[in-house]
Amino acid sequence: MKKYFSILILTMMFILLFATTTIFSKVEIGGELNMNLSGVLFRESEALVYPQGSLDLELYIPPFDNNLIKSAVYLYNNPTTGQFDFMFKKLYFKHKFDKLQLTVGRQPISWSFGSMLNPVDFTLGSVVMDEETGSKYQNAIEAYFPINWNSSITAIAAFPNGFENVKWGLRGRTMLEGYDLTLNYVREPEENSAETMIPVSQRIGISAKGDLGPFGIYGALGYYFEDNDDGDLAYLIGGDYSYFFEAGNNIYFQLEYLSIKKDNLSSILGPFFAGNVTNNLNENIGLILGMANYEIDEFSQINLMAISSLNDGSIIVIPGYRNQLSNNLSFNLSTAIYFGKEDTLFGPNVSEGTQKRPKGMISIGLTYSF
Amino acid sequence: MRKVKGFLLIGIIMSILFSSLMVITAVEMTAEEIINKRDNNEYFDTAQMEAEMIIVSGSRKITKTMVALTDKKNSLAEFTNSQDRGTKFLKREDDLWMFFPDAEEIIKISGHMLNQGMMGSDFSYQDVMESDKLTDLYDFKIIKEEELDGRPCYVLEGIAREGVKVSYYRRVSWIDKERFIGLKEELYAQSGRLLKEIKVNKIEEIEGRWVSIDSVMENKLRKDTYTEFIITQINFNPEIPEETFSLQNLR
Repeated sequence: MKKYFSILILTMMFILLFATTTIFSKVEIGGELNMNLSGVLFRESEALVYPQGSLDLELYIPPFDNNLIKSAVYLYNNPTTGQFDFMFKKLYFKHKFDKLQLTVGRQPISWSFGSMLNPVDFTLGSVVMDEETGSKYQNAIEAYFPINWNSSITAIAAFPNGFENVKWGLRGRTMLEGYDLTLNYVREPEENSAETMIPVSQRIGISAKGDLGPFGIYGALGYYFEDNDDGDLAYLIGGDYSYFFEAGNNIYFQLEYLSIKKDNLSSILGPFFAGNVTNNLNENIGLILGMANYEIDEFSQINLMAISSLNDGSIIVIPGYRNQLSNNLSFNLSTAIYFGKEDTLFGPNVSEGTQKRPKGMISIGLTYSF
Repeated sequence: MRKVKGFLLIGIIMSILFSSLMVITAVEMTAEEIINKRDNNEYFDTAQMEAEMIIVSGSRKITKTMVALTDKKNSLAEFTNSQDRGTKFLKREDDLWMFFPDAEEIIKISGHMLNQGMMGSDFSYQDVMESDKLTDLYDFKIIKEEELDGRPCYVLEGIAREGVKVSYYRRVSWIDKERFIGLKEELYAQSGRLLKEIKVNKIEEIEGRWVSIDSVMENKLRKDTYTEFIITQINFNPEIPEETFSLQNLR
């Protein structure tokens, strides 16, 4: 079914594309090529080094008669299979009616509001941990109703596993006293995953972001409905601040705290940490996440991020460096170091027979934009 | 002969009187009048422009290009260079919103970030997107008159009005006496420290007004760095639909 949906969308796109030859002549291609060398350290004597490459390719088609077509594909070498693979990030058609914007096809659906972790997103999954999981790109129909310049209602029907199981979403957004406010509802369909039946689930959430004096502040509150009990509550509070040095440079800080039930944690952190959250699922987990970004000069910056579980003291420290070498070329260095005992949330795990988690990772690479 | 001498004398007196009157008129222009004339020349109801920012640090240089729409209170800018293509900013009065093209997210940017360099340049978001009239923000006075690059200028000092939120507490402006356009400006912190200096490289008369089409912003706190802002195309007072400066238009 998923295949038919993609074929349908593709056919629609090609008909539209070729029917509008004048527009076709103005189509541009752009994107980003990434070449990285990554290394993973399990023990002192056990390390894995492998090259990684990816290409983001996008067609820039000029809008015509309130219509917009977007197409973006992500090609990458899959480290697990060693083969080149691809994923459509965008392949959609949007029409802007007077009081409605309708988007049909493969599209990004993100309900980010400025936090690093988001317990009330349409698709739960950390933005920080792994940007390219593809989870935010969905086959979907989105109806966006603007009310005024800052208020809107969005209704979404997504088809993550074909037409039979529909994932529903509803989001209202407005601004009140300088605060960006959202109210969200998501209904996840029943899912068969590795012979396990995941039942229908629902959640509602609110988020707010604004300023308090010189600080930016934000928060979110999510309620995850459960069939047999009262449901789970998750909340996030955070803030950001810029400090300007005498020499003109500045350092940007962001700090946030997330409280969430262990059962829901894996969906927030992504599958990488799933092996660690099996025990005592009713326990509430407190995560603290901090980031500092220092601008060395106009072209280079260093950043340091850390995420820690307050329950077991385990921590991941993620330092990074970025330097823009020219108009189109930038150099990136990112590392991750894991601290904690073997049975902790973020601690390394190198025991035989269990899912291995490394002591550290490093990635060095170049990004070319065109 | 006596009659001729009389006419000559009257002529000389008239000329002196006329010249004096001219000087008095010029000298007697108040700081507010000068700034208002500058505001009237440089500020507009609406404008649409294409521009490029050349960021230079030592021997390294990168260029960013953008298109922008602006009215008296709001601005919408979209970057068009390959690295930032599709990144958009919407400024509605004191609020800044950013559109990230990859995930198509619209995020409200915290107020403190308005003072950060826009896309790594020496221009802050506030510098580029500030659309308020200067007389609404500062109290000005004339501190001297001098020539700058061969152009006679008024030199005005502006101090931020009490209770008004501004990026720079004090600004000293060199304003061309004939064309009423700022040729140079020094921007100071409340401590008295010079933060930035903006100097105009090229002026053109477009649609009956003098426009600075090439200017350089130097961050005085950093060494060997500046950003050149070049307007490659500008239209004044185009009709901008009401919903342009809205979140729906960022998508």
